[in-house]
Amino acid sequence: MKTLISRRRLLQGGAALGLAGLPFAAPEFAFAQAGSSVTVRVDRDLQNLDPARRIGSVEGNILRATMRRLTQFAPNSFEVINDAAESMEQIDETTIEFTLKPGIMFHQGYGEMTAEDVKFSFERFNNPAEGEDPATYAADWSALERVEVTGTHSGRLILKNPAPALWLIALSDISGCIVSKRAFEELGSERMKTTVIGAGPYEMTNWAPNSSITLAANPDYLGDPPMFPEIVLLPIQEPQTAQLAFRSNEVHFTKLDSPSAAAALQREPGTEIINRDSINYVWIGMNVQKAPLDDLRVRQAIRLALDVDEILLAAWDGAVGRAHALMAPGLLGHWQDAPVHAQDLDAARALLAEAGHGSGLNLRLTLLNRPAYQTAGLVAQAQLAQVGINLELEVLDGGTYWSMGEGEAGENLELSIQRFGGKADPSFQTQWFVTGQIGSWNWQRWSSEEFDQMNAVADSTVDEAVRAETYIRMQELMDESSAYIWLTHEVNLFAVKDWLEPAILPNGDDWQYAHFAPA
Amino acid sequence: MSDTMRYVISRIITTVLVLFGAMLVLFSLTLFVPGDPARVLLGPRASPEALQALSERMGLDLPIYAQVGRFFGNVLRGDLGVDVISGRPILNMVMDVLPYTIALTFAAIGIAVAIGVPLGCYAATHPNTVGDRITAVISVGFIAIPNFVVAIYLVLIFSIWLNWFPVLGVSRTGGFWDQLVRLVLPATSLALGWIGYIARLVRSSLLEVLNENFIRTSRAYGISENRIVYKYALKNAAIPTVAILGLGVGRLLGGAIFAEIIFARPGIGSLIYAAINTRNYPVVQAGVLVVVFLFVVTNLLVDLSYSKLDPRMSRRGGTGGRMP
Repeated sequence: MKTLISRRRLLQGGAALGLAGLPFAAPEFAFAQAGSSVTVRVDRDLQNLDPARRIGSVEGNILRATMRRLTQFAPNSFEVINDAAESMEQIDETTIEFTLKPGIMFHQGYGEMTAEDVKFSFERFNNPAEGEDPATYAADWSALERVEVTGTHSGRLILKNPAPALWLIALSDISGCIVSKRAFEELGSERMKTTVIGAGPYEMTNWAPNSSITLAANPDYLGDPPMFPEIVLLPIQEPQTAQLAFRSNEVHFTKLDSPSAAAALQREPGTEIINRDSINYVWIGMNVQKAPLDDLRVRQAIRLALDVDEILLAAWDGAVGRAHALMAPGLLGHWQDAPVHAQDLDAARALLAEAGHGSGLNLRLTLLNRPAYQTAGLVAQAQLAQVGINLELEVLDGGTYWSMGEGEAGENLELSIQRFGGKADPSFQTQWFVTGQIGSWNWQRWSSEEFDQMNAVADSTVDEAVRAETYIRMQELMDESSAYIWLTHEVNLFAVKDWLEPAILPNGDDWQYAHFAPA
Repeated sequence: MSDTMRYVISRIITTVLVLFGAMLVLFSLTLFVPGDPARVLLGPRASPEALQALSERMGLDLPIYAQVGRFFGNVLRGDLGVDVISGRPILNMVMDVLPYTIALTFAAIGIAVAIGVPLGCYAATHPNTVGDRITAVISVGFIAIPNFVVAIYLVLIFSIWLNWFPVLGVSRTGGFWDQLVRLVLPATSLALGWIGYIARLVRSSLLEVLNENFIRTSRAYGISENRIVYKYALKNAAIPTVAILGLGVGRLLGGAIFAEIIFARPGIGSLIYAAINTRNYPVVQAGVLVVVFLFVVTNLLVDLSYSKLDPRMSRRGGTGGRMP
C-alpha cells in the first residue's frame, strides 16, 4: 500500500515534534519555593568540583558552601577563623597541630569527618592516587611534607619549610576543603568531578547541566544553619542578560561588569548596588626582551607619555581608583609611598630621541576583547601618538589572549593590557613575575635575580614586618624596570536585591553563600 | 533497483561524505586556532604536571595524523569521548542540551509558518495594493533586522516593560507550561526573519500558481476564490516553502546560538560556544558533528519528502525538480 504524506500532515508532524521535544528538555529540577531561595547568576556552568582540580570561582564558591575546611574566612573578610577545627595551633614554623570538632558528618551518609580525611584531602594535592591526574592546584600545598594523624580527630601538619601563605592560600581557602576519603574511594575520583560529598552548611542537591545548580541547606550541619534554605545558581554567560534577569527579579544577586551597568541598575526599585574596592590589578605591561622595548629609555618614555587618570576616566567612567603598585591597599606589603607617574610629553619625547626614536616608532598593544580594555587601548593609542608612537591594537578573544605569553607569541609580544586576580596573601600576587614564569604568565619577560630571591625569602618568612618590607622592595624593583604601568585595582560592583545581604571576599570573585543573609 | 532507491542511496553516500568533509575541515581549523587548550582549560595556577597530563589525555601530544585518526576512529565506533574536565561522556553532554535546541527550532519554525504563510497568502491575493506593500515592508523589515536586536527588544518590551514573559529561557521547575512560556521570546526572536522569508516566498509562488491554467479553469467553474487559493493553489505553491523550511530547521539546529546566549538557554549552540571559549576541542568537535549530522539528515529528509508530497515527482524518480 502506498502512503502519501500530505503537506498538512507534514506541518502537523513538525509541530508535534517540536512540542514533543519539550518534555524531554526537562531534566530533574529542584523546586525553588518563592521567597525561600536566593538566585545567583554565575557566568558559566560548573566543570570540576574536585577541590584539587577545580577550574575557577564558580566551583570554588560551591565548594566553599558545601565543604568544610580546618579554618575559613570570616564573612566579607580575609580574617581567619576556625571552621571544622576546634583548635589550630602553629607549634613552630613548620608544624601546625589541629583538632577537629567531633560529630561533623559528611553528606549522604558518608560518616563522620576524621583526621584521616584531613590527611587524605591535603596529601592528595602532591601525591595523587594511581590513575588520577596531577592536582591543578598542587602549588597551594607545595610546602606540605605530610599530615600525621595523632587521633581520630587530631593531627599535625608537617611542613617542608616555613610557609606563612599556607593559612590564607591553602588552609582557609578551597585547597583546604576536607573531602570524604570514603566517598573518593567508593565513588572514584572521576565521579567526584561533578559530585560534592562535603559537610558544609549547604549540600548540592541538584545539577541540571547548563541550567541550574541547587544548593539546599544541610539539615545535619554542625554549626549555625545558613539563613536561606536554598541557593540556586543560574549559569548566564552574557552580562546584559544577567542584568535584564535581575531587573525582572529572576536573579537576586549578580556581579556587574562595568560602572555603566551599575548606574543603569541603580535606578531600579528594590536594588542595592554594592561597590567595593578590589585587590585585583590591571596594568599595561611591556616586554623587556623585545626591541625597542628592551631599551629602558623607551619604556620610561611610554610611561611618561601615558595619562593613566585619563585612561581610567574613559575606560571605567572614572569609577575606579588609580593603582600605583602591585599590592592593593590593605594587603600586606602595600607600598604606600609608591611614585605617581604623571604625564610629561616633553620628557617622553626627549627620552625617545635619546634612544634613537625621535622620528617615531611603531608598537603593538595586545588586549582582551572587553569594552573597558578596548577603550583603554584607544586612549593609550591617542596619547602615545602625541610623542610619535604609532600604536596598533591587537584585540583578542579570551582563549587566544590568555595563551599569548607562551612560546613564539610570548617572545613577540610588545605591550599588553593585563588583569590578574588577587588573593589575600601577597605571595599570590608576586608569583607571576618571577623569572620562572617567563613563557607562562610573566608576559613582560622581566627577570630580576634580586626579585626572585626576595620572593623566595618572603614566601618562607613568618615575620610579617620582614615580609612587608620585602614585598615593598620587590615593587620598587618592578617600578625601576618601567615595564609596568599600573592602572587600577578595580572595584567590585554587584547588584543585589535590597532584602539580601551577600557575603563577598575582598577579591570580589569569591562569594560565601553560607553567609548570605536577609538585609 | 528503482530510480528512487538509487537516488536515496546516492544521497546517503553524499551525506556521509559531507559529514566526513565537514569534520575534516573542522579538525584542521582547530589545529590553527591559537591558544594552548590545556592552559586555557586549567587556568593560571595549573601545575606543569597537570598541564602535561591534560595535554596527553586530550591527545594533543600526538602527531596530527594520529589525532585525526583517533578522532575518526572514535566517531565510527559511536564514541564521542569523555570531557577531560568534568569526566562526563561528551555524548551525554550533547544529548542533555539537544532537546532544548530541537524544541526551540521547531517552535521558531512553527511561529514562522503560522504568521508567514497567511501574510504571503494575503499579499498574493491582494497584489499591488497598499496591504501588499505594507506586507512587503514588514517582511523585508523582519529579514533585515538582526535577530539579536530583535531578541533584546523583545526582552525589554515583553519582560521588563510589560512583564508578560520571563527573561531567562529555561525553566527551573521543568513544568510543561513554564517551559512553553519561556520558549515564546527566544522562538519569536528566531522566527521573525523566517516570517519574512516565508511570506515573500509564499507570495511569489502563489502568484505564479494563481496564473496557471487549472486555476483559471477553477474560476470558470465558479469555485469560490478562498477555496481556489487555500485548497488548490496553496498546496501547489507549498513545495518551495517546504524546501526552505527544511533548510531553516537545519540552520536553526546549529544557528540558534545567539538566542541561547541572550536568553541564557541551554542548547547545542551555547555548548559549542562555551567549549570554543575554553578551547575544549573534543566538545567542540562532537557538538559540530551532531549539528552537521542533523543538518544533512534534515535536508535529506526534505529532499526525499518531495516525492511523497507530489506524486508526479515520484513518477519522475523523485529527483526533487520543479513541477512541470
